[in-house]
Amino acid sequence: MSTIEERRADTGTVYERVQAGPEFADLRRRLRRFVFPMSAAFLVWYLAYVLLASYAPEFMATKVAGNINVGIVVGLLQFVSTFAITTVYVRFANRHIDPAAERIRQQIEGPAR
Amino acid sequence: MSTAAIAALTAILLVGIASTVIGIVGHRARRTSDFLVASRNVGAGANAGAISGEYLSAASFLGIAGLVLSDGVDALWYPVGFTAGYLSLLLFVAAPLRRSGAYTVPDFAEVRLRSRGLRLVCTAFVLVIGWLYLLPQLQGAGLTVATVTGLPAWTGELGAGIVIVLSVMFGGMRSATFVQAFQYWLKLTAVTLPVIVALVYFLGSGHTYDRPAPPSFPERTTVDVHTGVTLQAGQDVTFTAAGRIDGRDVAPTEPQTWTAGSRHVVGEGTDLTFPAGSAVPVVAGGPVADDEWLLPLSGADPHQLLGIYSLIIATFLGTMGLPHVLVRFYTNPDGRAARRSAVYVLAMIGVFYLLVTLLGALSRFYTPQLLVGGQTDAAVLLLPTAVLGSGTAGAVLGGIVAAGAWAAFLSTSSGLVVSLAGVLSTDVLRGKRLSNFRFATVLAGAAPVALALGVTQLDFTETVALAFAVAASTFCPLLVLGVWWRGLTAKGAIAGVLAGGILAAGAVGVSLAGIAGTGVLGVLLYRPAIVSVPVAFATMIVVSVLTARERPTDVDAVMLRLHAPERLGLSRDAVSGRDRAELDEPAPDERAAGPA
Repeated sequence: MSTIEERRADTGTVYERVQAGPEFADLRRRLRRFVFPMSAAFLVWYLAYVLLASYAPEFMATKVAGNINVGIVVGLLQFVSTFAITTVYVRFANRHIDPAAERIRQQIEGPAR
Repeated sequence: MSTAAIAALTAILLVGIASTVIGIVGHRARRTSDFLVASRNVGAGANAGAISGEYLSAASFLGIAGLVLSDGVDALWYPVGFTAGYLSLLLFVAAPLRRSGAYTVPDFAEVRLRSRGLRLVCTAFVLVIGWLYLLPQLQGAGLTVATVTGLPAWTGELGAGIVIVLSVMFGGMRSATFVQAFQYWLKLTAVTLPVIVALVYFLGSGHTYDRPAPPSFPERTTVDVHTGVTLQAGQDVTFTAAGRIDGRDVAPTEPQTWTAGSRHVVGEGTDLTFPAGSAVPVVAGGPVADDEWLLPLSGADPHQLLGIYSLIIATFLGTMGLPHVLVRFYTNPDGRAARRSAVYVLAMIGVFYLLVTLLGALSRFYTPQLLVGGQTDAAVLLLPTAVLGSGTAGAVLGGIVAAGAWAAFLSTSSGLVVSLAGVLSTDVLRGKRLSNFRFATVLAGAAPVALALGVTQLDFTETVALAFAVAASTFCPLLVLGVWWRGLTAKGAIAGVLAGGILAAGAVGVSLAGIAGTGVLGVLLYRPAIVSVPVAFATMIVVSVLTARERPTDVDAVMLRLHAPERLGLSRDAVSGRDRAELDEPAPDERAAGPA
């Protein structure tokens, strides 16, 4: 850890270089490009349920089997979609964010020991 | 006391004793970071169990089934929101916050904006949110004890308070992790068994909810109306009553008849006795007939859409501001493990919510009398004896459910008390020693017990939603803008947190005082998020722009630390300096002990 401590004394430039560097900008852009559209998609799906319930009650009342109607199925699918998005995010982070982050780390600390 | 009561009481005591013993003996807390974040070396599986165990509170265990019983499909909004809120926490703030090295929102505020004033404001709201969230937990403990044993509710509230404080005081977070993981599996068992049993009986009965009639009483039933309520009859119903109905005294000797669709005000303490097979009148405003109940947005309230939007905002954005949820992301050894935990957690809480929803649906057939008294939160607790009778089988199943309910209160509450004690001891008591944490723990636990004994009891899920609303109106804007926007200033943050917080907490205070408004205002008092969250964001942005000159000078370095990878040497424990200073023995490098 001592090497980092030494670097920290004159890190002002290292921070600034990394901050301005293309890798860091790329990392943040990738993350933003994933996180924000994903949240938007999820919110839309979420609101679709409310809108369907208020404006298309007959559709929601369509019977699927026994006591189960479309409204209940769509409601329960909200859980499934939350789980699916999380899984996709974790894959994305493991595949794209971690390697990019590792490159930046090497840039600052030098090659991995 | 009946067999069922004794079985339930024994089960509750066992859970309490087991939790305290694991807390005290299992792992003696040695260092402050053990106490707060379990030294960051808990594995992903155990940690996911602990997160789920902690997250599934009284609102989840009792409240959701209760709401499903009365409101049907609309009640799904709560579990969906609780799950989705977890996702937004993961997407927007979890990783950067972890890298900031701050354990709590006040820590984050200080790391990011270097403002002592902001730190204090955050501390105040951590306490408000934490205590608000503890309130329904303790009331749930009281309700459980009262429902299954007939003892007064305060014994349960006080008992739960004592067990929580003791187990946290001597164990802290490290032991809490294992206690909570154990409690998750206990809770899951305690809902799975009754679901299986009740489902078998229900399918055997051939009953369907797809009919234009209200639920009916399976046998002659007397309902004691605890608090005054307006009831709506779905079909003509004849019954006897002792107490006050529609403003006049009624005696059991004169039978009462309500016609289909009529509404009646029933006074506090009135006993209503319905013959077997008669239709169940329900609390006015909710769906009356079973087939309405199966449909979304079936209630009679014209503003329910507004209420649902507001609830979605509160739950989706509020989770990230809950003190006990946030701190959990630190107990993983690294970011990868933290993400893996998150996936497990969503699976674990998703399964649980599905089962609880089913329980609520089944209780409409087995315990419809709860619809009359409005105490639907007791549905899960009463289901076992309603299905199996009060013999041995019913008593055993009832005991398991009561134990699960207690596990729910204890796990959520101990996580909250750990977080609150941490904040109290660092910011309010300004202490440096572990003994201060212990004093803070007592304080963190005693305040909500006092509150629980004093305020109006709302539906548990409603009270929890209030805590979410306050969190969404204060910490969500602070965290999201703090992580993603360089332009945030300390003054902007303080103004935004105060604006959102005062609006939301004010509305909450009015609701808890038992004052109910009507129309749009009435909805907003219970669900303030749709107004208070945008106000908080807007205030924070506008004031930050106006004070743009006061941006912290090290904003570049801090933003890099938040968004650059871990293990860069940039992440530092915000409390580690303090932590090390108070140690007598040299600290082993505990991170090395965790899985790499």
